[in-house]
Amino acid sequence: MVRLGVDVGGTFTDFVAYDPRIGKVYSWKSPTTPLRPWEGVLEGIRRGGVDLGQVEVLVHATTLGTNLFLGQVGLEVPGAALITNEGFRDVIEIGRQNRPSLYNPRVRRPPPLIPRRWRIGVKGRILSTGDELEPLDVESVRRWASRLCGEGVRVFVVSFLHSYVNPSHERLAASIVREECPEAVVVLGSEVDPQPLEYERTSTAVVNALLHPTLAAYLERLQDGLRRLGFRGVLLVMQSNGGLSGVEVALRMPAAFIESGPAAGAVGVAYLSMLLGVNRALGFDMGGTTAKASSIIEGEPLTVGSFEVGGKVHMGRPVPGSGYPVRYPHIDLAEVSAGGGTIAWVDPGGALRLGPISAGADPGPACYGKGGSDPTVTDANLVLGRLPTVLAGGLKLSVELAWKALREKVAGPLGMDVYEAALAVVGLANNLMARALRLVSVERGLDPREFTLFAFGGAGPLHAVEIAEELGVGRVVVPPYAGVFSALGLLFSDYRHSLHAPINRRASELSPGDLEQIFQDLEKRADKMLEAEGVPGERRVFLRYVEARYEGQAYTLRIPYPGTPEAAARAFEEAHRSRYGYTHRSPIVLALARLEAIGRVEKPRLRPPTGVEAHTSKREVLFREGWFEAEVVKRESFPKGYTSRGPMVIEAEDTTILVPPRKAVRVGGLGEVVIEVG
Amino acid sequence: MDRLTLEVIRGAAAYISEEMGVVLRNTAFSPNIKDRHDHSCAVLAPWGELVAQAEHIPVHIGSMAVGVENALKELRRAGEDLGPGDVLVTNDPYIAGTHLNDVLMIKPVYHQDSLVALVASKAHYVDVGGAVPGSIGGARELIQEGLVIPPVKLVEEGRLNRWLLDVLRANVRTPEIFEGDLRAQLSSLEVGARRVRELAEKYGGEVLVEAWRWILDYTERYTRNTIRDLGVEGSWEAEDYVELQDGSLRRIKVKVTISGGGVEADYTGTDPQVEEPINAVLGVTVAASTFALKTVIDPEMPVNHGFFRAVKVYAPPGTLLNPRPPAPVAAGNTETSQRIVDVVHKALHQALPDRVPAASCGSMTNLMLGGEGWAFYETIACGQGAGPWGDGMDGVHTNMTNTLNTPIERLEQEYPVLFTKYELRPDSEGPGKWRGGLGVVRALKILSEKAVLTVVGERCSTRPWGLHGGRPAPPALYLLKREDGRVERLPCKATRVVGRGDEVIVKTPGGGGYGDPCERSRDLVLKDLMDEKISRERAEREYCWSGSPRGPPT
Repeated sequence: MVRLGVDVGGTFTDFVAYDPRIGKVYSWKSPTTPLRPWEGVLEGIRRGGVDLGQVEVLVHATTLGTNLFLGQVGLEVPGAALITNEGFRDVIEIGRQNRPSLYNPRVRRPPPLIPRRWRIGVKGRILSTGDELEPLDVESVRRWASRLCGEGVRVFVVSFLHSYVNPSHERLAASIVREECPEAVVVLGSEVDPQPLEYERTSTAVVNALLHPTLAAYLERLQDGLRRLGFRGVLLVMQSNGGLSGVEVALRMPAAFIESGPAAGAVGVAYLSMLLGVNRALGFDMGGTTAKASSIIEGEPLTVGSFEVGGKVHMGRPVPGSGYPVRYPHIDLAEVSAGGGTIAWVDPGGALRLGPISAGADPGPACYGKGGSDPTVTDANLVLGRLPTVLAGGLKLSVELAWKALREKVAGPLGMDVYEAALAVVGLANNLMARALRLVSVERGLDPREFTLFAFGGAGPLHAVEIAEELGVGRVVVPPYAGVFSALGLLFSDYRHSLHAPINRRASELSPGDLEQIFQDLEKRADKMLEAEGVPGERRVFLRYVEARYEGQAYTLRIPYPGTPEAAARAFEEAHRSRYGYTHRSPIVLALARLEAIGRVEKPRLRPPTGVEAHTSKREVLFREGWFEAEVVKRESFPKGYTSRGPMVIEAEDTTILVPPRKAVRVGGLGEVVIEVG
Repeated sequence: MDRLTLEVIRGAAAYISEEMGVVLRNTAFSPNIKDRHDHSCAVLAPWGELVAQAEHIPVHIGSMAVGVENALKELRRAGEDLGPGDVLVTNDPYIAGTHLNDVLMIKPVYHQDSLVALVASKAHYVDVGGAVPGSIGGARELIQEGLVIPPVKLVEEGRLNRWLLDVLRANVRTPEIFEGDLRAQLSSLEVGARRVRELAEKYGGEVLVEAWRWILDYTERYTRNTIRDLGVEGSWEAEDYVELQDGSLRRIKVKVTISGGGVEADYTGTDPQVEEPINAVLGVTVAASTFALKTVIDPEMPVNHGFFRAVKVYAPPGTLLNPRPPAPVAAGNTETSQRIVDVVHKALHQALPDRVPAASCGSMTNLMLGGEGWAFYETIACGQGAGPWGDGMDGVHTNMTNTLNTPIERLEQEYPVLFTKYELRPDSEGPGKWRGGLGVVRALKILSEKAVLTVVGERCSTRPWGLHGGRPAPPALYLLKREDGRVERLPCKATRVVGRGDEVIVKTPGGGGYGDPCERSRDLVLKDLMDEKISRERAEREYCWSGSPRGPPT
């Protein structure tokens, strides 16, 4: 039975299908229809000629921005209201009181998702100890719920101060709202994210609540359409933690779906790295406009505990205050504006700059001949002889136009020759991407020299070896289907649910039994979720983590739970020392218990290469060391066990692999190309 | 050296300063650093010019450059040098460039026995001793604002000077937190130094130093070209006022001159220094002037010493903006710095009207509270000034600060306080076609028997001004409601002993408006009415509102 992956992006929707009967992966693209994205998906499926009746599992991810999702999707967003403590209704509007741009007064914060008139303060107060200072004003909740329901509000968020320690007021208010407005969706801060910090918790609840009806309606339309086309399989949704979930469960944390697309690539690397026995992998995905980096340790992508929906990124780091915070695990991706279409330019001070502007698909790089006159990374690669002049699919690339753009916009103003300029542009791109990879390794206390770099995306394999050299990485792996590997990751993904419960006690005051109880409770909840999704018991895996900090610190470090609180404290100290270089005498607090509940699914099987004899030709290529006559090989022609040495250009249908002089290359049993960097 | 290496080193320097900031925040103990991010980190050339700084707190940025230069000068005067494994510490405002709370640390980076860079960080410690918990306010001379640490080696040849640390601990109200923050700061310097050393190992120490030079020259060139591209030359003057404890006003005056690819801010005509914390050391004056200029000239321009080379700042010695010791200076950093931005903007508005917003609230609104064994400090958001491009933001930190608020749940966990309100302040905007942002109301009750409360703010009697027919915003209002019901309107700078059940209510000013408020889109007025951001009465009085939601009257 066929497995189908669909990733709805801003411009294109990617499809990837795997048919186990013939062991082959197919992929194709079709335009996204932002106003009615389900139509684009259905149209794309038709276009790909897939028989939906044969599709057993359809995995869905998206990189549509939240704003696009909320603002433009042709689904009505129902009125939403927030019920919170009297005197604190502006918490979500003031946020953390910072502005996203230090110097530019024109740059604004995103507007609050619930307008002030629908943010209601009611009397009632819980203290930080969990004690009740003032009872909840139930009459006021009732009055407001009934009135707002009458005005058409169908989404209610209930979020009170200190509900992470005592949720009774939230639960009481929610039950009253449900009585007054039975058809409404009611979301509680204490259920979505039982952790301290009122802004982040309330924001998590609000974002999820608002997305809920839109996502529910979207998935319903998609499912209807699929059924009409004969689909009888299961629809699964990808989440920002890199896991799959059934539609029901996904609706509890819709924000995790909205930001799910980029996670798929890291999931693909996680799976492949385990097949290849690689314990430490760096994922490097370079496409047309951006490059993304991720770290994978023993088959688990590193995650962060929160992200900002719709937020901006600066130098690979998220800009605080530029989006709407959501606390849910998110695969730790560093993203930089360095794709094939990223434009190189010279600034008023005479420095060579790269991005963030991209030539996109239209007009595209200058060499596409579609009217673009700005030099891009692709133009530089072409001038250096690193790209073929005709791409698979028949697009002809003009070296002349690339040359002209580089000369006029870079080489001329900087007074260098065009080849030198092209090398500088590629070098700058490599450096930006190396920095993104450092963000997810060095800055997490991990040494990139112990890692293998997995390069994919249309442009990744072209740059990977030079980047690996810069980072001191010894080996590069280019996966099979490298150009669509990110979408393929959808088919390598497992069910995954991230659950957590507060602990907030000193490690020295906890017994192993205390934690066992907490974890067992979490596992019971996870079991129910996986049960509902039909994952058999023997395919369920639970990974236990704790988040710890010194008493007095705010930021926690996550460590795998070693079985006792005492061992956890020691593991924390070690982690603190390796990350920050010192330890404290202060007591260690275990703040949070985290459970990653995984339901393993069957994965597509990757087959060995089937070529008979490597088909080669020659081309002049400029490397950093100078001009070389490089061997040009078609990837599809590789026989199993093929080995060779650079300088070499390996051309595939969906990507180009550059092997600098003297580097050894071999083709592995899963069709992966392995380059020894040294 | 090739272009690529230069670009790589330039990018790396910015990245290193960012990473230092992340380490400092992640390991700090005081909510002021771990939650509010009141710190900044930088990479500097061996001779003290700032090469790259993470965009954290503007007032730290300009002053870091001045501070490191001064501190190194002091050290040399004493015949000392910074060797490998040393860390210098100082908080003397007359050297470090801001106020005693900001502790500056500098670490040299050596590669093969030669100095290739300095890394430095500045962090606001919640309490450094002195007359009041939080150390800001009430002083008549510097010594009353806390412990003065002259430039001394906190770490020598890799060994922490335990005795010095004991002296520091003995002079502050919360020694455990003080030490936790101090170790976090040391750790951030260690990470920064390690990263710079890696760069040096890769490219060579001499290449690195040459790159610093190129980066600084490049930024200077960039700045001068951008200033020339503004297409205006000339001099423009402006003045505004700061408030003393008794409410009387002191003048800040500036003449901004743009000519030949450079800018000068000359504060001749500013009033003499006073025996109150409102004096701003020269480091603050430089920081605030350069900030204001950058927002107008080019907000995206790189920030380092190359920029400062194209900008001249002069303030006569003995004035509010360049005081002589022992004048107290704690609030110069937070309040007077905001007024400096206001006057520079006001002057530049005459030259470049399309680029300058109306005044933001003009204060950082410092609130300090402490008792036995605890001290907390925070600054409170307000309204941003409107510009020709749109409304000012509501409830946001403006101009010289961008620290986060302290989460209420965190404060209630760690201190004996109970918050009673944290909301936008309706009717606090400066009306205009584009209105200023709203200020906020932040109120809390004290839960301990005895505590000392200090507020230090601005714009209690003056108002954030509007532009182009936009109106000023209402002033700040601070109230102290005693447990027995008595209410006192506090001056903008006040210290009071408070007890259980007493409530302090801080209402911060909004931002000034831009353009005639009667021309404001009726839809926007209606929206503000529905959101209870402005009252109906105010809409009628200020915005020519007559109840009709249709377009602006002609």
